[in-house]
Amino acid sequence: MEHPILFISLILEKLGLPIPHGPVGNTFLEQLCEPYMTYTWFVMIFLVVVGKLTLSNIEMVPGKGQNFWEYAIGGMYDFFNDNMGAELTEKLFPMIATFALYIAVANLIGLIPGFMSPTSSINTTLALTIIVWVTHHIIGIRAHGMAYIKHFLGPIPVLIPLMLPIELISNIARLLSLSIRLFGNIMAKETLLGILFMLAGAYFAPLPIMLLGVLVSLVQAMVFVLLTVVYFGQANEHAH
Amino acid sequence: MAKKLSTEMVDLLGNYGHIGFTFVAAIFIGLGGGIYLDEHLFDGKTSPWFTFIGLAFGIFAGFKSLFDILRTPAARSKDKDSEG
Repeated sequence: MEHPILFISLILEKLGLPIPHGPVGNTFLEQLCEPYMTYTWFVMIFLVVVGKLTLSNIEMVPGKGQNFWEYAIGGMYDFFNDNMGAELTEKLFPMIATFALYIAVANLIGLIPGFMSPTSSINTTLALTIIVWVTHHIIGIRAHGMAYIKHFLGPIPVLIPLMLPIELISNIARLLSLSIRLFGNIMAKETLLGILFMLAGAYFAPLPIMLLGVLVSLVQAMVFVLLTVVYFGQANEHAH
Repeated sequence: MAKKLSTEMVDLLGNYGHIGFTFVAAIFIGLGGGIYLDEHLFDGKTSPWFTFIGLAFGIFAGFKSLFDILRTPAARSKDKDSEG
């Protein structure tokens, strides 16, 4: 397939850094210069700079920037509070809110020509998912101790040999479905946009897909965060 | 009205849009585990039994994750709304 033009990769290439041409680079430096790595850093810098610019002087009567953040953060806080309780929200709000902002921005950035979504690489989404998956087990073990295993044994003792594999499979399936869903949706969007640009870019053919891309980006970020919150809440509550 | 409709749609997409993926992932994990047991742990001596057992467990796990989605807080609060 035709390579999209990624301006960070072009700049790095001009600086003499090796840009890998395959999906995975050979040397450590090549792996660091992967487009999904460089664009991950770009999104991180973007979020930090925008946060710094809009929130450097917080006022009683908020301006435009502060108003936006108060609305976004307040909305997320209420949502987490409703779904997993105040105690967990206090502890884990920074982590999940960072995930939400990062995934939303990383999804949307792919719609601009010259950028790609870091989330259209399975490495990024799998890393996010593994963090969530491990954290929800840690929450369960901290909340229940050894009794956390009751979450995997089902309601009736006689059915334990049947329920244990089923529960384990559906738990590991979370790892797979959470990562591949985000990756698949965003990669499909990117690939479709690339092909349409190549075929009929002059006739605005990608425009409807870009419209859908905005919806898909936001919905996928929301789904990821919603499922994270649900898993954390389930790990924290008592076994049924 | 339009705003309410769109938030409702996003709500529904968020809560139930991932049903298909979770279902398929569970089946594939079960099948993959069964094939692993058959081919690598028992060197193909037990083939194809663990594959079938794994597939059955995977399908059951898929249905179980389906019921789990129905029990999420979002779905429960909707039930409460319709009752009250």
